[in-house]
Amino acid sequence: MNGLAALLNPVNVGPFVLGAPLALAALVALPILWFILRATPPAPRNVELPSLRLLDGVEPREETPDRTPWWVLLLRILAVVTAIFGLAQPVYAPAGPEDGAETGTLLVVIDDGWAAAPRWSDLQNAATAAIEAAGRDTPVHLVFTAPRDRAEDPAERFNRQDTARRVDAAKPVSWAIDRTAAWERIAAADLRPARIFYAAHGLTPGGDRALIEGLAELAPLDVFAAMPRGALALTAIASQGDGVGVTLLRAEGGGAQEVAVSALTLDGAALSTARAQFLDGETEVRAAFDLPGAALSRVSRFTVAGAQGAGTTWLWDNSDRTRRVGLVSAGQSAQPLLSDVHYVRRALEPFATLIEGGLADLILQRPDAIILTDVGTVPAPDVAALVEWIEAGGALIRFAGPRLAAQDDTLLPVDLRRASRAIGGALAWDEPQAMAPFDETSPFTGLPVPADVRVKQQVLAEPAADLQARTWARLADGSPVVTADRRGAGAVILFHVTAGPDWSDLPFSATYAQMLRRAIAAGRGDIAEDRDGTFVPQLVLDGFGRLEAPGSTAAPLAASEFAAVMPGPDHPPGFYRGPSGTRAINAAAGTTYAPIAAWPEGVTLLGDAQTRRLDLTGWLLAAALGLIAIDLITALALSGRLLRPRAAAAAVPVLLGAAFVIQLPAEAQLRTPIGEDGLSKAEAAALNMRFGYIETRQSDLDERLAAGLLGLSDTLYLYTSVEPVRPHGLDPETDALELYPLIYFAIPDGVAPPSEAAIAALNRYLQSGGALVIDTLGGADAEGGLGELTDILAGLDAPPLVPVPSDHVLTRSFYLIDSFPGRFERRRLWIENTEAEGARIGDGVSRLFIGDADWIGAWAIDERRRPMYSVDGGDTQREYARRFGVNLAMYVLTGNYKADQVHLPALLERLGEGGDEAPKPDFDLDALPGLQDGGPR
Amino acid sequence: MTDLAALRSEAEIIASSLPALGFKSTESQAPHVGSAGRRKAGTGEHFWQYRRYAKEDDAGRVDWRRSARGDELYVRETELETARTALFWCDPHPGFDWRGAADRRTKADEARILMMALGTLLSRDGDRIGVLGSGRTPAFGKKAVDRLAEDLATDQSGGFPSPPRGAALAVIASDFYDPVAEWEARLTPLAYACKEGVLLAVSDPIEIEFPFEGRVRLNRPGEALRRLLGRAETLKGAYKRKFEENREGLQALADRLGWRLVQHTSGDVSLQGASKLKAAMETFGGKA
Repeated sequence: MNGLAALLNPVNVGPFVLGAPLALAALVALPILWFILRATPPAPRNVELPSLRLLDGVEPREETPDRTPWWVLLLRILAVVTAIFGLAQPVYAPAGPEDGAETGTLLVVIDDGWAAAPRWSDLQNAATAAIEAAGRDTPVHLVFTAPRDRAEDPAERFNRQDTARRVDAAKPVSWAIDRTAAWERIAAADLRPARIFYAAHGLTPGGDRALIEGLAELAPLDVFAAMPRGALALTAIASQGDGVGVTLLRAEGGGAQEVAVSALTLDGAALSTARAQFLDGETEVRAAFDLPGAALSRVSRFTVAGAQGAGTTWLWDNSDRTRRVGLVSAGQSAQPLLSDVHYVRRALEPFATLIEGGLADLILQRPDAIILTDVGTVPAPDVAALVEWIEAGGALIRFAGPRLAAQDDTLLPVDLRRASRAIGGALAWDEPQAMAPFDETSPFTGLPVPADVRVKQQVLAEPAADLQARTWARLADGSPVVTADRRGAGAVILFHVTAGPDWSDLPFSATYAQMLRRAIAAGRGDIAEDRDGTFVPQLVLDGFGRLEAPGSTAAPLAASEFAAVMPGPDHPPGFYRGPSGTRAINAAAGTTYAPIAAWPEGVTLLGDAQTRRLDLTGWLLAAALGLIAIDLITALALSGRLLRPRAAAAAVPVLLGAAFVIQLPAEAQLRTPIGEDGLSKAEAAALNMRFGYIETRQSDLDERLAAGLLGLSDTLYLYTSVEPVRPHGLDPETDALELYPLIYFAIPDGVAPPSEAAIAALNRYLQSGGALVIDTLGGADAEGGLGELTDILAGLDAPPLVPVPSDHVLTRSFYLIDSFPGRFERRRLWIENTEAEGARIGDGVSRLFIGDADWIGAWAIDERRRPMYSVDGGDTQREYARRFGVNLAMYVLTGNYKADQVHLPALLERLGEGGDEAPKPDFDLDALPGLQDGGPR
Repeated sequence: MTDLAALRSEAEIIASSLPALGFKSTESQAPHVGSAGRRKAGTGEHFWQYRRYAKEDDAGRVDWRRSARGDELYVRETELETARTALFWCDPHPGFDWRGAADRRTKADEARILMMALGTLLSRDGDRIGVLGSGRTPAFGKKAVDRLAEDLATDQSGGFPSPPRGAALAVIASDFYDPVAEWEARLTPLAYACKEGVLLAVSDPIEIEFPFEGRVRLNRPGEALRRLLGRAETLKGAYKRKFEENREGLQALADRLGWRLVQHTSGDVSLQGASKLKAAMETFGGKA
């Protein structure tokens, strides 16, 4: 019994561990298999032959059947051997146990915080290899170092398979590990392991050496430290003047390395990708995104391309997305477009949240910046609050103006002269000044200097020793245009010109907006905090950085605690919905991980290679299956059942033919008629909409009419929502004409006039609102008069006719056309004069169309949708003829609906006339998109 | 077996493109009672023509009633009336109702078409046709052709039929792949009754060419006869020789019986086979 158990145990063969060595016993059967395979010839082909009796008594000269070829034998044997070895469950594990039977318990400790995610499979493999290497009956303790809602008891003992299964099923969490707490748990369990394996991510914020040292003291400790190779985490984000920058951290500083960071929307679409280069020896780098404000507002997270883990995902909430700027409104202005505030608002709207109101209210809201346009003196009660806000990080941006020039207060970066300086003008010597390039030290550096901006007037600073240092922008003659002064954490910035275009052209230029944005960036106001309410988790990150619905452990969070919360099982990183919008908790915010530099004495550090483990079972079985598949094909080929080369060669043209057939023009396409089986013609016509033509008793003309209406129906089906089915030929004397919305009546030369009964039926049809198209097909004749027609249609109750006016609905009922070509060009189309006195019926819609352009011939197609007759102007004219057909059908079916002004604006634009009746284009100056670049031209 | 009507129409087409049968008049002719006119002068009951008296005519043949109307002497001739019976038989063996390729007819169908075509011709001439062993009396006319088609299609699986009571022209269609001795044993009793007969041997092209290679298991349809060949191509020569021997043996058998052998391949044009069969039948005598 013991021996059998020993046989069932894994066996080490060199670097391989065999999970089920007993399976190798099947190798004994190989020689038998060889013998059987050799003796069995390939299966014969079964063939019938009635004349077989003729062969009675004939013995074949050589009755040795085809033996199995040696290579087929080899193939089969190989397949069997591969399968047997596969069933033996071999695992390639170079770090197998040195001595097969380990005694005592094994303690496996695994780091499963977010920093372990990038190399989680390595950690899993290492742990599994260590567990596999332990003896079969060795009890294992398993400890994960990240805090969990319900942490497992380290004292619990598992057998080998259970532990391996648990390790396989484990996933990293999205918060950080807590080694101290883990050590406390292990110490509390009072374990006495014989050996400890620690699969660590090898990083530490420093200080928590309790676990490592404690483990090293407890028992011989093997450590596999799998440090993330690339970028480890996104640790911070900062809005810059024109975009956003994220800070990347990596574990080890060796070597230069390039990483890409993507900005994603909530649904995962990448809006932009920024590249950053880790310099040799550096562990931190910033990746800057230069995104327009509109795009920036859609970004919800940043991820490092190619990295997995909660650490390399930064969730971006609303709070630090846009700057909040207070705009002190100077009351209602009579001319809002000329007021200074208007220009500031225009410049800032795309990327900053503007708050307008009185100064005192604005200070209470703690914005990033407050903009004062030409406020002479800040009211005394507000000064103290304003100064306090600036010291706390606010940016006060002021613009000059006549009032500021006249007055003065302390909230200015520089002392000003009492009067403003006018440059240029009738009484001045000098020309308006251009801007000088920005200094390297100026926050405006790098912005383009608009060449055409001229400053006509400015307030002048008193010369002072530090004026140079406080100047952010200057004119070509050196006088400052923008000055700034740091006050505490904030700044006071003065534009020496007006915010509007009174004193300079600067507000017209794109640089103005960018200068404002950078000026605002100088300040960093407090985030308005919600002290009340709770934040409820909406979407949380898993350990691999994927957003998912929050689990049961994720708990709501009091708003007052939100700022200070550390991510953990109760509050996993993710988006939380709170009273003032969605806020994010990030896994790696502000982390300063560094590699664990010093391991205690006696710790064995395992390299990557020693923990590598490769399960070969699947590969071997797959290989065996592949070999069997090959054998199957060869066996078929040997017995002649595979496609013969000749048959294959015959199949090629068939396949090619099939491919060719697909490319043939498709059949004329019509709507499938709703069940017409067994219905009479009139019933079918009532069931499905279709066109009709009057049968002429000339079979070729009838065919042409049918083909023409088929072509028209096909065109309508393809391009419009009119879906007629196959047309009907009609005999006016017997068929019910009222069922057809349009009837085509071709009357070529020399045809007998229709009978009186037919004329009467046609009259009834016209009276009841039908549409009749009469075509003499005679357009080839030069004069092409319709003289004969009058004879033929003697009895037809024709209304007064006129040629189609150029602005008739027929020219625009679907397509915009200006002529009505058929096979012949430039023919006239006569319609009912609906304007005439006593126009009968049909709401001003003509019901009679008379012409001689042979439209039916131009529309005619065969069953393969090929045109049947030549057309004067080639395919272009045929297309126009079809368009006329579509227009005609639309006109007939919709009446004067299209005469309404649905298309009028577009038509006016096309025709460029008659703008009086048109509604004004809906231009609203206020709704224009913001002028982000390019000023007035 | 394909549609009977299709076979029938095929047979009609063939029959209509063949000239009428003319039996040789050299051999002994024994007209049956109730025979049909042959559209020529001969022994019969119905008036055919008067012709001038010739010297060699027996004086007793002069028709006095006619001669009394004028100066000339006339002999009255009657129409030749003969009737022969043709009995057909189609081998019901499953191996005969077999085809080597899907685009060909089975051998049995081919034989049926030929026999129906000839039957049509015969019955048009007033000869009686029937199927050997069908139990129905041979007859002529349109109905007879219908019955022939019906009986040919019915599988009389009672082995080889016993000889008919009266003399007839026998047409035996088969592939004749059983040994010649077996066929001789079957046909000899029949040949006693029917002095005239045609063996119609229909083969499939595959049976002639033996186009097999490699490891093949051959079996004869309808029988448990199987043969496993390791390398079929080595037997091709032997098979062809055996096939030739079989055909020669058949020819010899036909000669011995005083019959004719007609060979036809199912891949060939049916009209060709029909004309060969017709030629063979015409070598037998009719009544002059």
